[in-house]
Amino acid sequence: MIYDYLIVGAGIGGLSAGLNLATHKKKTLILEKNSIPGGLVSTFKRGRFEFDTALYNLYDYGDDVHVGKFRELLKEFGIELETKIVPFNTRIKVLNPEANFVIRGEIKDFIIELERLKEGSIESLKEFMRITKEVHEAMELLKNHEPIDSSIAPNFIKYFNTDSYTALKSLGMPEETIDRLGFLWPELGSPLNKLSFIDFSLFMYKIIFKKNTILLNNSLNLPLKLAARYQELGGRIYYNSLVTEVTKNGKFYLVKTEDNLEYKAKHIIFDVSKRYVYENIIKNHNPEINRLENARTLSPNGVVVYLGLNRSPEELGLKNYNYYAFHTLNSAENVRYMTNLEHETFSAIVPNIMNASASPKNTTILVLKKMFFTDVFKNLNNQNYEQIKEQIAQNLITSFEETFKIDISEYIEEIAVATPVTFASFTNNVDGSFYGYMAKSYDNPIYRFITYPEEETPGFTFVGASSLFGAHVDNAFYSGYYLTEELLKNKEGK
Amino acid sequence: MEEEILKAQKERASIIKSYSSKPLKESNITLLAKTRNLQYVTIKEIKEETPDTKSFILAPDASKGTYELAPFKAGQYISIKMFVNDIYVTRAYSLSSNPLNPKFYRITIKRVKNGLVSNIMLDEMEENSGLTISLPAGNFGYEPLRDEKNIIAIAGGSGITPFMSLAYEIENSRPQTKLTVFYSVKTLEDIIFKEEIAHFNKKSKRVKFIITLTREEQEGYLNGHINKKMLEPYIAEFNTFLMCGPKALYQTMNEILSEFNIPKKSVHYENYFAEYKPNTNNEYELKVILKNDFVITKCSSTEPLLIALEKAGIKAPSLCRVGTCGFCKSVLLEGKIKMVGSSMPTSLAENDYIHPCVAYPESDIVLRLDI
Repeated sequence: MIYDYLIVGAGIGGLSAGLNLATHKKKTLILEKNSIPGGLVSTFKRGRFEFDTALYNLYDYGDDVHVGKFRELLKEFGIELETKIVPFNTRIKVLNPEANFVIRGEIKDFIIELERLKEGSIESLKEFMRITKEVHEAMELLKNHEPIDSSIAPNFIKYFNTDSYTALKSLGMPEETIDRLGFLWPELGSPLNKLSFIDFSLFMYKIIFKKNTILLNNSLNLPLKLAARYQELGGRIYYNSLVTEVTKNGKFYLVKTEDNLEYKAKHIIFDVSKRYVYENIIKNHNPEINRLENARTLSPNGVVVYLGLNRSPEELGLKNYNYYAFHTLNSAENVRYMTNLEHETFSAIVPNIMNASASPKNTTILVLKKMFFTDVFKNLNNQNYEQIKEQIAQNLITSFEETFKIDISEYIEEIAVATPVTFASFTNNVDGSFYGYMAKSYDNPIYRFITYPEEETPGFTFVGASSLFGAHVDNAFYSGYYLTEELLKNKEGK
Repeated sequence: MEEEILKAQKERASIIKSYSSKPLKESNITLLAKTRNLQYVTIKEIKEETPDTKSFILAPDASKGTYELAPFKAGQYISIKMFVNDIYVTRAYSLSSNPLNPKFYRITIKRVKNGLVSNIMLDEMEENSGLTISLPAGNFGYEPLRDEKNIIAIAGGSGITPFMSLAYEIENSRPQTKLTVFYSVKTLEDIIFKEEIAHFNKKSKRVKFIITLTREEQEGYLNGHINKKMLEPYIAEFNTFLMCGPKALYQTMNEILSEFNIPKKSVHYENYFAEYKPNTNNEYELKVILKNDFVITKCSSTEPLLIALEKAGIKAPSLCRVGTCGFCKSVLLEGKIKMVGSSMPTSLAENDYIHPCVAYPESDIVLRLDI
């Protein structure tokens, strides 16, 4: 059998590509190396705790009133999730200059708090909110190949290749307010002076207008649902299938897996980064691809410590859903501190604050995350691996306790530590990077979007967080959906 | 807008063009991640520990592509993978060597009556024989970020192996901690690692082994099952208990520990033996849907499905064989099973995933296994 499409990897991007193709009755096969779908979106169990690996917040999902695009698309495919809209409840602590504040409530409360912290911010913040909407609408036009002119989207054009910091400054926003507004930059993997203003606006649009949403059950439930629906629609998926080689064979591609099985397909969709694919699957060192990869920077990787605590959040004094500790609030400056193992920037999440059933009664899950820019792991080897892992985890726990004055050490019932090696071996993300490639100037998702048709090799399509729209589940999903829509349109004039 | 897009496209193209076309070097993270697969080893040394137990020293087999062994934590195990009469089987064995010296692994294997793998290992393996093994796996063991500084280990029979590894780790790299291992064996002859234990007891200030013989009295050894009185002198204000052995041992110990008011958080067990005796003996049909094929075979209510898969010549993946690691994950398409001691996230259970290694059939079964 010759498949119309063969998808390498059942991450969120691969699954959404599969769903769309199966909906259009294409003969589609997904090959996934693990025994379960989802890639980074997963859940594992330790003792009586079930830990979600990476996905805690769904963006662009919303509810019946604030219907996000992600929710709409899932509904179209017949998938509904058990979710809940959650307010802000984030404690932020900054070492230098010292600061400690909480963002709580709705977006308007956040804006009011920003104005309270720095008078004279409100006008620029209002203007920014308006611009995010314009940028979102313009982006939708661009995706639909519709013309954009300065009468509909003047700011989209004006800020098309401007970084977030410069753009916000030009709106007259005070520096402190820019830093506070952009405190979520670690979730985007790039500091504000590198991050495209278009990307930042698209992200903030979702936060402002579509609300933050959480899944009420295991995050693994999401990919399991996508995979189940895909198969209902006639799509085929094989697990335990690591793709080792793709070669062209006349009119179709020959795909080989580690267990020596072969598949044929007319078109290959990779839900793995380009770098991984060209190094490990295609194996011919195309100089143009090498140039591209040399020009790009991988997003930060990091260490995640999953803790199951044997006390309730109240007993522990954990009052906030998110915790962020920064060395300094200016993201560009902060990144410079994040190039060694010992830095003081980290984040934490307590799912129980928003979802009482996140762990058994009178227990709490606390997940700590520390990211690193540049290769701080260059001396990591088989001999020192366990020691370095333990050291980082210990430092992270101590930093959390000292920064937020909350004791957790003596309540740890279960602990699991994931390093870049853990993530790299589970997902094949190069260097275990969290967000694919860094969204820096010429490689930010908006630049990727306008150049991908020229850069793509015919017969191959790349989806997932490393591809067009960048990281996060919603973007990974859109990449699979959007690119397969384009393929269907171009190939068959759909 | 076209103008801006064109400009941006040109800008990106010219920047990319200015970069080298040399292939990128793979980072050590990528290289380390890549070694996280099967390992090929050769047996460097075989040592007879007791008449029915041997230790095997395993070194990487560079000729098969394993240049160095993956690191491990004391308490972890590896799984040996081999074909026995065309049947693919795996067996998990705790590592008993020093985790700070991952240049070699040591496993210790006790003969199991009619055991498929243990008898081959004990009777047929020689020095320089090759083996295929998994990466170190398992979450049992001392966890410094979770556990107390006073560790009390309880070992029953061959359950001593992970604690030997832990003894080296504590002695060589954890100056703040104390380890007392209570080792319960039937007779003097059954003691594994006799010399090493004597060495620790003589030299170490922080690692101590206390051996109790349950079936005979001998001078210099305690007698009888581990009891409250034996433990009492070693219990500090805060303790961590680690146990490895048969379930009966865990049950007795739990009763004792509750008398000492040891919190649940401080007690950890290795899920060492899957012990389940169903009270029926029925034979059912087992249909296995593989990637490109299907197999119809028989299964018995007295054996987990994994055994039936292996007997049918299916190369079913497995590691721990006690329902913990998740490696054998399969989907139950039809039929009824009883799972004993399986640990998996709710979402997988809700989607009909099962662990064949601890799933006992209670009807005809249709299983999906992607191999």
